[in-house]
Amino acid sequence: MTDAFYITAWDLAAAGKDNIPDELRSSEHLIYSSPATLSFNSPGARGFGVKRAGLAVPGSVMLLVAPGCCGRNTSLLRTNPEYSDRFFFLLLDDTDIVTGRHLTKIPKAVEEVCQSLDKKPSAVMICITCVDALLGTDMERVCRKSVELTGVPTVPCYMYALTREKRLPPMAAVRKSVYSLLERQPRERKDMNILGYFSPLYDDCELYPLMRSAGIKNIRELARCETIEQYRELSKANFNLLLNPEARYAAQDMQERLGIPFIELLRLYQPDKIHNQYRMLGQAIGAQLDDSEYFEAAQKRIEAFYEKFGALTLAVGEILNGDSFETALMLVRNGFKVAEIFGTVGELNFSFVKRLAELSPDTKIYSNLSPTMLNYNEESVDCYIGCDCEYYHPDTPGIDFCGDIQPFGYAGVVRLFDELEAAMERRTVR
Amino acid sequence: MKKLVKYLSPFAPDQSGACGVLYELGGLMVVCDAGGCAGNICGFDEPRWFTKRSAVFSAGLRDMDAILGRDDKLIKKLTVANSQLDCKFTALIGTPVPAVIATDFAALKKLAEKKTGLPCITVECTGTHYYDEGERKAWLALFSEFAREDFDTVPGRVGIIGATPLETSMMTNERIVSKCRAMGIDEPVVYGMGSALEDVVRVSSCERNLAVSAAAIPACEYLKERFGTPYEAAFPFLPENFKEKLSKAEGRALIIHSQLIANEIRKLLPEGQADCASFFTMDKSLAREGDTELRSEEQLLDLLQSSRYRTLIADGELRKLFRPASFEGRFIQLDHFAVSGRLWDTEE
Repeated sequence: MTDAFYITAWDLAAAGKDNIPDELRSSEHLIYSSPATLSFNSPGARGFGVKRAGLAVPGSVMLLVAPGCCGRNTSLLRTNPEYSDRFFFLLLDDTDIVTGRHLTKIPKAVEEVCQSLDKKPSAVMICITCVDALLGTDMERVCRKSVELTGVPTVPCYMYALTREKRLPPMAAVRKSVYSLLERQPRERKDMNILGYFSPLYDDCELYPLMRSAGIKNIRELARCETIEQYRELSKANFNLLLNPEARYAAQDMQERLGIPFIELLRLYQPDKIHNQYRMLGQAIGAQLDDSEYFEAAQKRIEAFYEKFGALTLAVGEILNGDSFETALMLVRNGFKVAEIFGTVGELNFSFVKRLAELSPDTKIYSNLSPTMLNYNEESVDCYIGCDCEYYHPDTPGIDFCGDIQPFGYAGVVRLFDELEAAMERRTVR
Repeated sequence: MKKLVKYLSPFAPDQSGACGVLYELGGLMVVCDAGGCAGNICGFDEPRWFTKRSAVFSAGLRDMDAILGRDDKLIKKLTVANSQLDCKFTALIGTPVPAVIATDFAALKKLAEKKTGLPCITVECTGTHYYDEGERKAWLALFSEFAREDFDTVPGRVGIIGATPLETSMMTNERIVSKCRAMGIDEPVVYGMGSALEDVVRVSSCERNLAVSAAAIPACEYLKERFGTPYEAAFPFLPENFKEKLSKAEGRALIIHSQLIANEIRKLLPEGQADCASFFTMDKSLAREGDTELRSEEQLLDLLQSSRYRTLIADGELRKLFRPASFEGRFIQLDHFAVSGRLWDTEE
């Protein structure tokens, strides 16, 4: 039996981003669906997968057109009152998946769904899966037929797991879908949208006061829209602030269709890098953003934690609201040790690996998805970040840090260390 | 519309059933999917996933793998994983993706066996059927692959075939074993739960078999034909705390569950006062007049609306049909893991 595969940060950086070992590339091996990786393999089960994300449009319902297996874990979502009566299924049989005959039934099914509801839905999202990806279904056309029959806006959501590593993976496609119902209208100079997540940022995020200090009056987020009327106001924005690369395709579509340009920021946890981003954001919108107060607060929070607990050794997972490698780099730069990272290395975060290799060359990098993780032997750490780590370190204090409400900027840093401190104190009490 | 599901959620699919049968036997299982099916199995349909490790993997198929039929790539991944783990056999389990591209599982089996040197089981699931269909295929494939030798019969040894969490809503075999002992069975072997591949190899040593699900009957038939082992079909393992609830039944009852469990409940009600219905396999020889093989949610709504029944005995999920069916009768809950994902509370 082979031990769980890992590579040190130093060796990985030395190999270069074009020579990432096969064990870290999910397309090159079988995928281990350990409890740590369910968010990867079963996107409907935790957080926002395509199904839950597709219902971000207020008052919408979803019709999943697929073999029964694709809708199975929706039972979990339906236990949440917010979603209990918003999912419907048109189940495919063997003949359907070979001939595609189900496509002619969809408009009628949409009509029957609408008729069964007490209130007409604002939109019907048609979710299709791998079967239709292979059949090459033109779902846009089917949706147009449904609109003709029912008068209810109907848009496709592509839950194509087969295209996960393509240019337009399912979570990027669904972001385009949920903004696709917006129509062009005059833009308001002092309005903006935050794009990227299906939940709002924490209310205490400094991004809100910083943007208001630059003269912005209305900051809108999809997740804060409670009615379809509020949703429609999103197309009034003067610009979109994009906080998650997965929403870039949606932002580009809004730029083309609605004439709303976008500015992209990354979610970072290194305070100096956050400062650089805000400086550049200020330049882009022609305003001076004074973030010194927030910068100091974040820096002080890190220092206070360090003073209290010393140079802790941590494990960093990938199911967290942040990039595993950037988070690990922030920890190392502030005097902590990172023994192991469970993460997926790609083009975007390889620069963090290189920097990490200089500061913490022995940090071990594992892939959650490698079959060899069946043989993972627990390494001793003081604390962990990321809900996948809980599986590997069940008796170690740590934080999931993967809730729906999104941390961002300096406020995110403060929250991260607040939660870590609470976890460490709970351990002390125990 | 027959295939439109408005109130319930889809039940456990065939690939989950197949994995449930093989889960504890030490094989390397590959779900031939893009990731979601394996995730559903592990995260939702397999309660043992969080307490008992098993080598269940996704093939991680991508669109070009499917379009170009890259079987060689799948076999390469399987061979590498096999070299990293200590498994006794391999299993390839179908999903909608191989169903659409008509994967040749017989050829895959040969390739896998040649490359790994281990026996390979294939279960051609499509994701369009329910768990019972996957279980039926897996039980048959398992016994026909491994039960080849005729061992001497061991007195008192009884094979319990068909028990999986999806079928029994129990995560371990404890209750089944203790009930068997109370019934005078000295050596119950619960296949698929708390038993090993070696027990499958030696199944011919059982003096008789007990099929506890309709999906296990074809496997029991196979063993009867091959080794002459007699079998009966029943599920004598209902929780005592549920049996007590049956006193609340009034009038004619409709029992909706898997067939053998529904039949067992019927035995406890006044003769002629209950019909059974199931969305899953119903063996005609075990059904009575008035029993219904359910094909759709719509059909069940009609049944509830018919005013024929004053009591409904079923999984708690089916309460969702009360309002649309205007059903106002009594409800006695007995969950079914393949329906709601809820295990039985067997505390007594």
